[in-house]
Amino acid sequence: MNKLQLNQLMIKIREDRDEMAFSSLFDFLAPKIKGYYIQNGLSSENAEELTQEVFSIIWAKSDSYNPSKSALSTWAYTIARNKKVDFLRKNKGFYGNEEDIREFLYEANREDIFNQNEINEQVKKLNMELEPSQRKMIKMNFFENKSHKKIAEELEIPLGTVKSRIRHILIKMQRLL
Amino acid sequence: MNGTLVKNQLIFDFAAGSLGPAKSVFTSTYLYLNSKASSLNNTFESMLGDDLISNHDVALDKTTYKDCISKIKKTKIKSDEESSPISKLVGPITDLKWKQKYKGFSEFNLKIKDDDELKLIKMDPGVSVPLHSHGGKEYILVLDGSFCDEYGKYSVGDIQINDQKIKHTPIACKDDGCVCLSITEKDVIFYGRYGSFLNLFTFIKSFFK
Repeated sequence: MNKLQLNQLMIKIREDRDEMAFSSLFDFLAPKIKGYYIQNGLSSENAEELTQEVFSIIWAKSDSYNPSKSALSTWAYTIARNKKVDFLRKNKGFYGNEEDIREFLYEANREDIFNQNEINEQVKKLNMELEPSQRKMIKMNFFENKSHKKIAEELEIPLGTVKSRIRHILIKMQRLL
Repeated sequence: MNGTLVKNQLIFDFAAGSLGPAKSVFTSTYLYLNSKASSLNNTFESMLGDDLISNHDVALDKTTYKDCISKIKKTKIKSDEESSPISKLVGPITDLKWKQKYKGFSEFNLKIKDDDELKLIKMDPGVSVPLHSHGGKEYILVLDGSFCDEYGKYSVGDIQINDQKIKHTPIACKDDGCVCLSITEKDVIFYGRYGSFLNLFTFIKSFFK
């Protein structure tokens, strides 16, 4: 399924509370979200539990999805990421009363002032300019949250090379944006 | 130090969800105030969203879409009122109980459980901070007013990042002073007339942490 089809499914869920559309979205995306959590070091059991929570939010808060602000892929990613952050913090016992802070952390993105097309253009530009190996490193570092050391082990290259390459990629991205 | 790169690193780590609580609050306030930073964050989140939909599958063991529907009562949707993450956290900044450090310079510690210390700083118009450098990194985000130092002028939504190599003397803008959000990774080292006294104070304070 491509980005546009996903957006359309989500609009059906939002407008018509369409359970079939929700079921299609679930079949496509839930295994990928579970994969994301496992890549981020969660157990299969926790990964499944969080995936369920993500989809509960997608269903319950479908009103707050706006396709002109963000693609469904981005919206779903931020929900999944926030759940991960919550989960990891709770487990670390960061706060006595953690509710107070968590709620405010990730809602400040003023998507309203950006046009989805502009963002798409930017991403397209980045994807064109970044080599596949560079794009892969971005994914490993930021999506899978692997440490530089772990990346070095997996790609079988020296740690110093990983650090300098990632730095180089970030500078390149910064220049393009 | 490449300042822009450090700032962007903060945004990338925010998008990845790998920042600690203090830096998360700091960065979400930064994104709220600075549209350029927010735009970069949106672009990066969009890239990570693409990673998600092209990710490899791990089959679910037992959960079905029905579990996600039945579980939910209609949850209340948070109001989208436009106020900064920091005011949502501590209330209006004008009502805070500031702790005066010396004349014209006050602090409010947000007491977030983290290795990084998150504070609000208020400087009256024209007040300066004694020359100091930093044991670790210091991040300063201007929330209101502006300040200057040897490196330039910083206004609302601007961020300054200092490390141990930088010694500076910030001065609040003459007209309206300055309120900043700051993160310190480690204690600051003071120089100059009262430097040794302030360092001693920091040293003693470290026993009570």
